[in-house]
Amino acid sequence: MIHTNNTTISSPPVKKLGVIRWMRINLFRNTFDSIVTISVVLFLLWIVPAVFSWMFFDAVGFNGDEALCRTTDGACWPFMREKARLILFGTYPYEQQWRAALACLVVIGLVATLIFKRMKVKWMILLWAASAAVFVALMLGNVFGLPVVQTVKWNGLPVFLLLSVFSLAAAFPLGILLALARHQDDYQLLKNLAAGYIELIRGIPLLMVLFMGLFVLPMVMPRGFFLEPLFAILIALMLFHAAYFAEDIRGGLQTLELGQAEAADSLGLSYWPKVLLIVLPQALKQSLPAIFNTLIGGYKDTSLVIIVGIHDIISTAKMAYSDPGWQRYGLEAYFFVGIWYFCSCWCLSAYGRHLEKERAK
Amino acid sequence: MKRIATLAFGMFALTTAFGTQATAGPVLDEIKASGSIICLTNTNSPGFSAPDSKGVFQGFNTEFGRMAAAAIFGDATKADIRGIGFSDSMKTIVARKAHMASRSITSTGTRDADPGLVFPVTTFYDGQGFMVANKLGVKSATELTGAVVCAEEGSTTLLNIADWFGNRKMDYKVENIGDKTARLQAFYAGKCDVLASDYTALLSDRQLAPNPADYTILPEIISNEPLTLACQPDQELEAILFWSFQVMLTAEQYGVTSKNIDAIVKDIDKQPKAVRRLFGEKGATSDMAEKLQIPTNWAYSIIKQVGNYGEVYERHLGDSTVFKLVRKGTPNDLSSRGGLMYAYPIR
Repeated sequence: MIHTNNTTISSPPVKKLGVIRWMRINLFRNTFDSIVTISVVLFLLWIVPAVFSWMFFDAVGFNGDEALCRTTDGACWPFMREKARLILFGTYPYEQQWRAALACLVVIGLVATLIFKRMKVKWMILLWAASAAVFVALMLGNVFGLPVVQTVKWNGLPVFLLLSVFSLAAAFPLGILLALARHQDDYQLLKNLAAGYIELIRGIPLLMVLFMGLFVLPMVMPRGFFLEPLFAILIALMLFHAAYFAEDIRGGLQTLELGQAEAADSLGLSYWPKVLLIVLPQALKQSLPAIFNTLIGGYKDTSLVIIVGIHDIISTAKMAYSDPGWQRYGLEAYFFVGIWYFCSCWCLSAYGRHLEKERAK
Repeated sequence: MKRIATLAFGMFALTTAFGTQATAGPVLDEIKASGSIICLTNTNSPGFSAPDSKGVFQGFNTEFGRMAAAAIFGDATKADIRGIGFSDSMKTIVARKAHMASRSITSTGTRDADPGLVFPVTTFYDGQGFMVANKLGVKSATELTGAVVCAEEGSTTLLNIADWFGNRKMDYKVENIGDKTARLQAFYAGKCDVLASDYTALLSDRQLAPNPADYTILPEIISNEPLTLACQPDQELEAILFWSFQVMLTAEQYGVTSKNIDAIVKDIDKQPKAVRRLFGEKGATSDMAEKLQIPTNWAYSIIKQVGNYGEVYERHLGDSTVFKLVRKGTPNDLSSRGGLMYAYPIR
């Protein structure tokens, strides 16, 4: 049936509700709702003032000292003044920490650039490669007259960013390839290999993958080639995340109607133009929520590397309150780390929501 | 196939590499050539080793890495001190990626039997103990029948407790809590009567109590934990570590400290013979230096830059610190005062 005459589309009636009526409907609809509402309000009345008095009213300000902190139950912010650099950069040589800070800014700047500026894939790859090179040059030294800092002394934020951002970035294209390999029927061996790899990785916990990275990867390296544990772990994380990205993207590929690929075929497009121009853009759009799920999950899982002796910011936070004079202030240290995680994860998911909205247009 | 072959070859190379490490290698030469000695230490052990605000590891254990650097290079800052997890530390030495460890490693028979690792000298005698709340009114661990004990899951602590209570046919209950913070919280909240851990760990744990004075550490020490330096097998390196430590003990015995050593060296002829042998120009230490190929005044460098054993103990664990770890009457006191720290003769 086709409309031929123009009908005026009227907007839905505006619901005008008074405050009391709104509360009636939304908060106190029945006994159960009322109980839930009252419990939540009571909980908030208890927790919010407690948190605020810990953070502000009972707290010792940044200019105080440790002795003053002992007299109060509130937060001890002088701890952060004293230990912020340790939590951020760990045991990286103190005089050289500007390099670690700069390296972090390079990675954060890279991510921000990619978020705010649209660019062609080839420029993206170039930017990634350049940032990785600058990051390693800054951190490791031995170029431009910078003294060498061995990777065992890399701790805190730079290590966390290196392992999370670069492993996820490298895993993404690998995940696309795996998904494409699994989502085709022309090459059965390739399909089975991809499926086998994905199921193998998903079948073992991340901890085991990390141990494999530490102990097995160096063994398969050519003789005389020493793989730093940090980079072995980077590779292990990348291999791990790739399997999850692959399944996210395969989910997107499956939602695509067969007609899309067939239309491309009928236009005479060969495999790669078909995939890059027709299939992938639509599939990736469909799998955005899943991809961001993996992205944020993988980002947070990075802190597991403490198990293999690599110290990210959670571990340096622990170091900060191992100092004999500052042992009481673990909560402040973890609060700081929690804020970092919350802000960065929130930015990521906000970007994800923005992309979804944009692509839905 | 090629990959499998590489893997097999890698494993073979690894086993043969471990197998050939029984002979003493030129580790000392390697240390000298590299310009620093790599010393592994704890990352998070307040008092023994934890990074300060500048990210530099500080504590009792780190001083022995500095001691080795002072002896070998005449410069304690040439110690490359790196934090590492416990189980990894011995592996790293066996794999020859570090020269020594000062990391509260208990020297045990099976560990020492590993051809890639030696334990030259014990720097601290620890043992497992019990902490209780004062309000329990317990004065000795023998009164702990029926107690609930908080201990770390999967550690030797649990085995030692089982031995100790079992031998005395005393009932007890264990509360296994792996995470240290959670364990302390359970204990201070009264969920268990007793906290079992290494004696020194208990002392620092007590500092985290809401009111440390409310808790007592019982006198019984139920296990032997000789915390020992570990290094790669190398006769000269072992000798340097062992005798450097003896220098620190002897210096304490004769009251030579980092503060008065310059005055003592200036006035060396008026000193007791043992002190002259340590710091005199033609002392026994200079003969040793020649044989070990280290700077002649190595003993002076150790005391000047690191201090004697008592100073190091006091600096990190003693009354001036939050731990206030009692030394008098413990195995860590000098043998002349009833402890186990027995200075070997340097002559």
